[in-house]
Amino acid sequence: MRRNLQLWALSLAGLAVVVFYPHLFGIYYTNFFVKFAIFALYAVSLNLLLGYMGVLSFGHAIFFGTGAYATALALTHISGLPLIPALFVGGLSGGLLATILSPLLVRVSGTAFAMLTLAFGQLLFVFALKFRNITGGEDGIGGFPIPSLNIPGIVSIDMLDQRNFYYFAITVIMISIWAMWFYTKTPFGSLIVGIRDNENRVDYMGFRLPQTKAVNLIVSGTFAGTAGGLYALFQNLVSTVGILDIHTSLYPIMMAYIGGIGNFFGPILGSAILHILEDVTFRFTERVDLITGLVFILVVMFAPSGVAGILSGIRERYVSGAAGQPAMEDEI
Amino acid sequence: MSILETRGLSHDFKGLKVISDLNLKIIEGERHAIIGHNGAGKTTLFNLITGAIIPKGGRILFKGRDVTRARPYRLARMGMGRSFQITSTFSQLTPFENIRMGILSKKGIRFSLFRRVDRMKAVTEETHRILKSISLYEERDVPACELSYGKHRSLEVGMAVATDPDLVMLDEPTAGMSREETRHTVALVRRLTEGRTMVIIEHDMDVVFSIADRITVLHHGKILTTGTPREIRDNQEVRGAYLGEMGD
Repeated sequence: MRRNLQLWALSLAGLAVVVFYPHLFGIYYTNFFVKFAIFALYAVSLNLLLGYMGVLSFGHAIFFGTGAYATALALTHISGLPLIPALFVGGLSGGLLATILSPLLVRVSGTAFAMLTLAFGQLLFVFALKFRNITGGEDGIGGFPIPSLNIPGIVSIDMLDQRNFYYFAITVIMISIWAMWFYTKTPFGSLIVGIRDNENRVDYMGFRLPQTKAVNLIVSGTFAGTAGGLYALFQNLVSTVGILDIHTSLYPIMMAYIGGIGNFFGPILGSAILHILEDVTFRFTERVDLITGLVFILVVMFAPSGVAGILSGIRERYVSGAAGQPAMEDEI
Repeated sequence: MSILETRGLSHDFKGLKVISDLNLKIIEGERHAIIGHNGAGKTTLFNLITGAIIPKGGRILFKGRDVTRARPYRLARMGMGRSFQITSTFSQLTPFENIRMGILSKKGIRFSLFRRVDRMKAVTEETHRILKSISLYEERDVPACELSYGKHRSLEVGMAVATDPDLVMLDEPTAGMSREETRHTVALVRRLTEGRTMVIIEHDMDVVFSIADRITVLHHGKILTTGTPREIRDNQEVRGAYLGEMGD
């Protein structure tokens, strides 16, 4: 009961911060927050594979990038396409790509999975570069119309206003993250964790492995695509660099590890840490990767369960009432 | 009525014959032990029957249906449960989560994406019931890898019956156990396989003779003989090939 109350209070406080944030911190940090949140969503979607199913994807940008390109292309070529459907196109494209690739991806795990996703990542990157007439090559696609959010007969909200976009993006991201959290709590979600631990036994318990893995892949791809779609709307520009390149695949991995892959909310924490770190470092030097890389190495070496792991360790040790209870609500 | 039957079952690993022309019949409701030396082909036979490997020759019938090439998940759904000689649980998960996996499978809850599993009362209750029956209720929320060896083995056996199978295949449930733990496990196996058919691989002759209704002796991938414990004990050939060397 007390635990529930605490949780409610915490959620309410968090919500208040999110609501008043743009009014307190100005436009630069509002956009900063949007970028953090988009990458948090992206990293959580990656963690459905990494932390939950136990496979490392080195090419998650294919889903993020496909989502981004799909939303951008849809808005460029379909005049009058409303905002929400444009975003759906992004998410569904990510899911569709995952569906197409799943027959191959579910048959491998470990290093082979990592290499296969890396290969697909590079393949799609080159495709995007070469098919200039569709993707715009290195220049990318920019300047597509950003529709207003229309609720027919009630209101039309201008998405070019960055504060408005902030509220829209955060809402979509919170719903998406909640949906993924719920997903991990379903019987199906518990199966995925079983696959990570001992996929052989899952088979012997009467579950079909390839299909089960495929569904998880599709869910992950769909949400990565949604994050990509949001990113396209946010930047009003998609190009290979920053959307489909190898770095875009590596960022969420770093975020997940720094935050903690063993915790559902770890990657969100990781995204926050990495973004703040970059922002602060940039004030002193342009060699941002040097610092983020160092932090990554330190976390992998000394805190393999990430910052979330450290926090729950502290909590277990010092907070009364937590003793004997599972360390954190969403420890997986 | 036989629940499981192999006809002319053969298998080799790169030319090395492990199982040759093996005809085994498991009668519904019996407790059947398979004994034999290391390398006699016991675990390979288990792997063939449970779908881990596909035999090079012969057929396997389960409940009268040809399952020679069936994958483990299909056999599990048809009512076959299996435990492993080398403990193979979900070791990072709790005993509760381990057993729940079996309950979900039994109830056919596979692609359920819209309900929280911890709100499924029937599933939780049934999981608790099995945890109590394998004496792991107290430890239900500890990661399985932190359980004592004996407890971990109990979980292994518990998982084999969590799907409520008609046929339970146990691969050396007492492997590496002390006398006390063995006694406990024998009682557990007896209790859990009540009303089911059981096939067990076992090295401990005391366990075999106390638990089995019938015994099959495997020797170099062939059946040496099949019979009741008394018949096996009195069989000269078995004594020569197996029991004698065991020092019994």
